[in-house]
Amino acid sequence: MSSLELLAGGFHAAFQFTAFATIVIGLLVGVVAGALPGISFVNAMAMALPFTYVMEPTQSMLFLGGIYVGGVFGGSISAIIINVPGTPASLPATWDGYPMTRRGEVKRALMIAVTASATGGLVSALVLAFLSAPFASFALKFSQPEFFAATVLGLVSVIAIAKDQPIITVVSLLAGIAVGTVGVDPLYGQARFSFGIPQMESGIRFVVVMIGLFAIGEVVDLIATNRDLRPKHSEGKGARPRLSDIFKVKGAILRGTGLGCMIGMIPGAGATPGAVIAYGVEKQVSKRKAEFGTGVEEGLAAPEAAKNATTGAAMVPLLTLGIPGSAATAIMLAAMMLHGVNPGPLLFIMDPSMVYTIFAAMIIANVLMIGAGIGVAQIFSTLMRTPPAILAAFIIVLSVIGAFGVRNNIFDVYVCLAFGVLGWGMKRIGFPSAPMVLGVILGPLAERYFLTSLANSHQDWTVFFTRPISGTILFLALLFVAWSMWAPITSMLSRLRYRAG
Amino acid sequence: MKTEVVPPSGREASGASPTGQDRATGLVRLMPALLPAVLVVLALVLQHFVFWRGSPAVTKGLGPDAWPDLILNGLALFSAVWLGLELWVLGRAGRRSALRAPDDDEIYRFGKAVAGIALIVLYGILLPLTGFALTTAVFIAVWCVYGGVRKPLVVLPVSLIGTWVLLWVFMGISLMPLSRGRGVFDQFSIWLLKTLGIY
Repeated sequence: MSSLELLAGGFHAAFQFTAFATIVIGLLVGVVAGALPGISFVNAMAMALPFTYVMEPTQSMLFLGGIYVGGVFGGSISAIIINVPGTPASLPATWDGYPMTRRGEVKRALMIAVTASATGGLVSALVLAFLSAPFASFALKFSQPEFFAATVLGLVSVIAIAKDQPIITVVSLLAGIAVGTVGVDPLYGQARFSFGIPQMESGIRFVVVMIGLFAIGEVVDLIATNRDLRPKHSEGKGARPRLSDIFKVKGAILRGTGLGCMIGMIPGAGATPGAVIAYGVEKQVSKRKAEFGTGVEEGLAAPEAAKNATTGAAMVPLLTLGIPGSAATAIMLAAMMLHGVNPGPLLFIMDPSMVYTIFAAMIIANVLMIGAGIGVAQIFSTLMRTPPAILAAFIIVLSVIGAFGVRNNIFDVYVCLAFGVLGWGMKRIGFPSAPMVLGVILGPLAERYFLTSLANSHQDWTVFFTRPISGTILFLALLFVAWSMWAPITSMLSRLRYRAG
Repeated sequence: MKTEVVPPSGREASGASPTGQDRATGLVRLMPALLPAVLVVLALVLQHFVFWRGSPAVTKGLGPDAWPDLILNGLALFSAVWLGLELWVLGRAGRRSALRAPDDDEIYRFGKAVAGIALIVLYGILLPLTGFALTTAVFIAVWCVYGGVRKPLVVLPVSLIGTWVLLWVFMGISLMPLSRGRGVFDQFSIWLLKTLGIY
């Protein structure tokens, strides 16, 4: 049977009432969970795992796939409306999406975000359906040095998001990586920076840091500035969404989609580096690069497309190799194994109907996401009409629950609150918190890949440069830094020349 | 409480001696250099506290402190560069510090913000002692009043119904083991959860 025939069979199965309802419910759960600050879609997937016990294997994958697709986008709803990213990957949506909201263009921002996300997700799902096998063979060539190089690329991309303070951005990033070193090291199992506190030995989770830095500081400022959150649709110039808005950002969507598909397939990379790299690249290629961070449509569209483009792509290594490319796909792997299904090349031979039903479900979920996203965004817009104090109270409670839910541990709540106070302070003095969060997320990955690469190569550090793929990615990272730093350096040199002459 | 905007030349206003005022202004001007200086010191000092129970013996390859040391050295280096830039800025009139605070200082009420932070921290501290249900209901009510919502007919339903929904979603459906509190609060939480049909 050809791929097309198998996919047609997959659509037939996915459009059965039970399967379709499962996708829709999963999608809604994902969008809502993603939109709630502090409750990430990964948490929602983990919480949904026990519910899949009573489902058929394929149905459980449709449910989790729906949460995954919806959740990756859902995080941008809160990022755009209240400047609190629901998921790490939605961080770039706060940089240009939230300024649009402040201009009274919340509907335009949401429409651009949902369309870009759906396009990215749809293309990615089609890539998953038709290009699984060839891409899987490429990903098979990846070893620890390549994973390290890919993580480095994600880390250096923060320099691109540094507006005009690259040194402070690097300091924030390194501080985040330092926070990520707390806990047991990946090679020796030795606890670091525990200061005699047993809970510190198990490390500081990035979700807890992220919730603290973003949610707590934001709600305190909400009250301290007496900010009016009510959407000002009629106040902003061109506030109403138009179809032409989408055509204007089609290049950004396509670039973001392409990058997302490529990055998503790299196991360990996931939606966050995808979105951040897409933002950095878009900033470099855009004619409005100087305006990025002030509500530029391309700056919103590119990372939105990229992060959802990673969803289908991240499932390629999961289904073809059994390697989960992200935390979300790791939960999907757990669900498959709970049902006695072993993902890998044999799955395509043993149970192609299941594989292609999942492909079809991913395509359907991305199409339905436009409706689900707009629907949930409408509910969120209504939520914004409630007094900020009530909204803030629930954001804090949900943030505390979100921090607690990471490990069902009150210590994480304390860590979250400590980072909340820190985040508030950082915000007041203008110290950037986004690079710190990226450091906490990507730092532990970089360390693991760095140390295991060296251990596997008898401590030969040239392994990162002599392996073709790893070397190419690191060279790309170097080019990326040079490209990002070009404008600030030339501007500084011209200022010095002006002063001297 | 609104922040007071200090006039640029506060000498006359304060009535302090010129020498004392100059010293105070000098210290205030040094403030932007404080954070990078603290970070440099912290990054260098923390390297001595990687292991709490003594460093392990590593005979081959990089040890478990290699990565943290690399990162902390990097942090110290870049913080030192930042400190250098801030000090260079201090020496040149009319130049701004690298950090730029949000431009809402005029309307920002620091007193209210600090009170809000204190409320949130208190909520976190009380959570394991008095239990999720009671602490959350009280917190939501207090936060609403603090935030300017003072109608009892709004505050009470929001607090009670909100807590009830949260209990149902997280303890009832998701089976999250949120704190029930200690001693009498534990018994109260069990009674409440049984009454609501969650247990």
